[in-house]
Amino acid sequence: MATERTAFLTQMVEVFTSTVSFGERLNNMVHLLARYLKADLALYFGLDKAKEALVLNLSSQGPVPPHMRVEFPLGQGLVGEVAATRKVKFAQRSQPGVLAANQALEKLHPAFTTLAGFPVADDNFLYGVMILADRQERHFTHTERQSVQLANLMLAGTLRQALLQEEAKKRIAELSVLFEVGKALSSTVELNELLERVVTTTAKVITARGAALQIIDPATKEVKVSSQYGQISLACPSPEEMLAAAPAPGELPHLQGQETNAEGRIHYYLAVPLTFKGQLQGTLCVYDKFAPNGDYLPFDPENRQLLYTMAGLIVNAIENALTFKQVESLAERNERMVRNLTVLQLISRALLTTVQEERLLEIILQGLTLERGLGFDRAVVLMVDEANQELKGIKGAQRSERLKGLPLFEALQAPLAEEVKVEEWRIPLRADQGALALAVLQKRPYHVKEPSRESALSTALPPKFAAPEFFVAPLMAKDRATGVLMVDNGASGRPLEEEPLHVLEMFSTQAGLVVENAHLYSTIEANNRELLLIRERMLESDRLAALSSLASGMAHEIRNPLVSIGGFARRIAKLVDVTSPLRGYVEVIQEEVTRLEKLLREILDFTGENLTFYGDHDLNKLLDDTLLLVQRDLDSCKIKVVKELAMMPRLHCDDRQIKQVLYNLFQNASQAMHQGGTLTIRTYPVEREDGLYEAVAISDTGGGIPLEVLHNIFNPFFSTKDYGTGLGLAIAQRIVSRHYGQVEVNNELGKGVTFIVTLPVAKYCLVKEGGHGAALASTLKAPKGGGR
Amino acid sequence: MKKILVADDEMSIRLLYSEELKEEGYEVYLAANGREALEIVGKIPLDLVILDIKMPEMDGIEALRQIKERQPDLPVLLSTAYGEYRQDFATWASDEYLVKSSDLDDLKSAVKRYLKD
Repeated sequence: MATERTAFLTQMVEVFTSTVSFGERLNNMVHLLARYLKADLALYFGLDKAKEALVLNLSSQGPVPPHMRVEFPLGQGLVGEVAATRKVKFAQRSQPGVLAANQALEKLHPAFTTLAGFPVADDNFLYGVMILADRQERHFTHTERQSVQLANLMLAGTLRQALLQEEAKKRIAELSVLFEVGKALSSTVELNELLERVVTTTAKVITARGAALQIIDPATKEVKVSSQYGQISLACPSPEEMLAAAPAPGELPHLQGQETNAEGRIHYYLAVPLTFKGQLQGTLCVYDKFAPNGDYLPFDPENRQLLYTMAGLIVNAIENALTFKQVESLAERNERMVRNLTVLQLISRALLTTVQEERLLEIILQGLTLERGLGFDRAVVLMVDEANQELKGIKGAQRSERLKGLPLFEALQAPLAEEVKVEEWRIPLRADQGALALAVLQKRPYHVKEPSRESALSTALPPKFAAPEFFVAPLMAKDRATGVLMVDNGASGRPLEEEPLHVLEMFSTQAGLVVENAHLYSTIEANNRELLLIRERMLESDRLAALSSLASGMAHEIRNPLVSIGGFARRIAKLVDVTSPLRGYVEVIQEEVTRLEKLLREILDFTGENLTFYGDHDLNKLLDDTLLLVQRDLDSCKIKVVKELAMMPRLHCDDRQIKQVLYNLFQNASQAMHQGGTLTIRTYPVEREDGLYEAVAISDTGGGIPLEVLHNIFNPFFSTKDYGTGLGLAIAQRIVSRHYGQVEVNNELGKGVTFIVTLPVAKYCLVKEGGHGAALASTLKAPKGGGR
Repeated sequence: MKKILVADDEMSIRLLYSEELKEEGYEVYLAANGREALEIVGKIPLDLVILDIKMPEMDGIEALRQIKERQPDLPVLLSTAYGEYRQDFATWASDEYLVKSSDLDDLKSAVKRYLKD
């Protein structure tokens, strides 16, 4: 007997220390025990993880099929009692209640009589219960009991080893999962790629059929990013749904469940929240865990724990990636902004190279359309036409590759490579005329997208210039919109980007001022040219007048003697006999004189053309214009000018002639005051019976005109040293008379003279044709091609 | 016999006019400027005056003005080398404006017109 026991224990130790799998070792141990004790049946019931029930794991009769997995709750039946008390217990079928309590064992051994239960435990842990069942009534000897307990110790040791190994395996598996996840998360900062890896790795480590992730901006409720992998049978729950599902006490928030699809197949899902520090919320969701045989399984708490751990890691990685993405886009924007500002600075510099309006517009258009400028497909300048209250196409350009090789600054100043013909483009300045007119009227830019939707704005572009999207900015000069800049990318169909538009908006203010300045400059230049021309013409008239007076003086001097010579020749001819040779001589004298007289008549008495050009003019303006011409003379004589001008209606007159009158009066005044003085100019309306007149009084402080010559001052050939050529006043009087006005003289001896010119406002016809303006016409005649 | 005053600063003209007019049967008085002409106008009851315009001391225009002031009905002919004074309003007071010519037919027929009766 002792030998058997020794052999049993030796075998047990051999099994215990063998390298076969735990399951085999445990099976062998149960077999050895049954054989050694010659028991009918040895059964091992293992305590489940929840420690609530004991389940049949091993049997000395071989593998336990599923339907034989008998189970006892803790404390029930012999199995349950032994587990609860950790004490060895025996039961006989005959004992009351035994059969009822152990009914389940009848399935395994229908004819048992004796049941013996031994706890399988070590010092601190109960692993299960060993049941020995026998057909006969049986009593265990002390040695047998000891042997069973020894065997159970070894069984417990093996079980503990198995548990530890399982634990270790799980830890290793978890670590490798986390390693995988870590590797995936740290491999990239590109957000979309990262999300893809997150869902792929998640699905793999949980052995799920699919995984999905979404992140939502709670402020806008919009899905900011999302990604998915594999087969997604259900929608990913939103963060709000996650929050709504209150977790059980002690559990982290999650959503877990199952749904049956149309074909009756059950799908499972598990979702955990992604909690970000900032403004974002999200969910990570897995679907349908794979069983090794391909079935779908529900997710267990371990899966949940793992998903949580992953969620924590993912959140950090995603936040990093989002930040990186933001920083990257900011940097990109900065770079674009710097580039655009550089372009702007270069355009500004180029604009400083000219004051010509047309060149400026060309530079602006180059800047807008050059590839390395703001790079729009097309740009057009339209300017406001105040008179017609409309926008007028001035110049347009489109993108060209031709200036590619040139540095930007040089390309800006190059002639436009491809102009767009916009001269016929006219837009009335009314609010219903679309974005271009509105940009001027409201002094603000318009960005028109998909014009068909905003019909009020779209009418701006005629079919010829149509574009699906365009931007228009007003050209501002001080607080006035003088025109617009329009750009679009219609040719290539690219959308208009925000930064160049922003730059264009800034630029349009500067461009407006530059163009306005150029415009003013050219106006001043034109005015200056006109002034020079007028001055030239005035001087020319003066010269002509002098020349003409000289010529006519000489001609007249010749005419008198001719009359005498011719007259007496006629008298002689009458006295001389027809046959006398003297008669012939006298006739020669007579004929020659007649010829000379005819010549003189042609020179002196020719009738000039009608040289007057009537229009409505502002007398005050004519005064100012004329003053400009004599300003230099006035300045050089140190003559102060005092003006008292009344607001008056326009005068119907020949402005050029009236200017001539004023010019002559100013000249006289300044000659009278060559030692300095004050020139006072006063205008005022005069009401008379026959209508309204306007008067201009020009006073000097030149001492006045001596009384003895006063009556002669309008005589064309009268002149004093102090008061000019004489012809000046005569001409003035002639012109004023022709305008049905008067020239009056107010002479204050010792002080000065005031000439008062009074002119009717109303429209009078020209003075009767014929005699007037003949001789003096030459002095007033405009240079040929004067364009009047 | 009708009395005609000829005022001209050119002696040769005075001579020519007086010869021609005398031949026509008029009594001719002569003056060398406006002032002299006015003196004669004041003394002698004239039928017609012929005035040159450009004369020293007093020109024909002033003389014309004064003669017309005193004797508005006395015909005054302006005979001048200056065609352009025709447009001068001051000359419009004269009864006839004649540009001097060696052919005195125009002058003589004008005189005849005014002294018809």
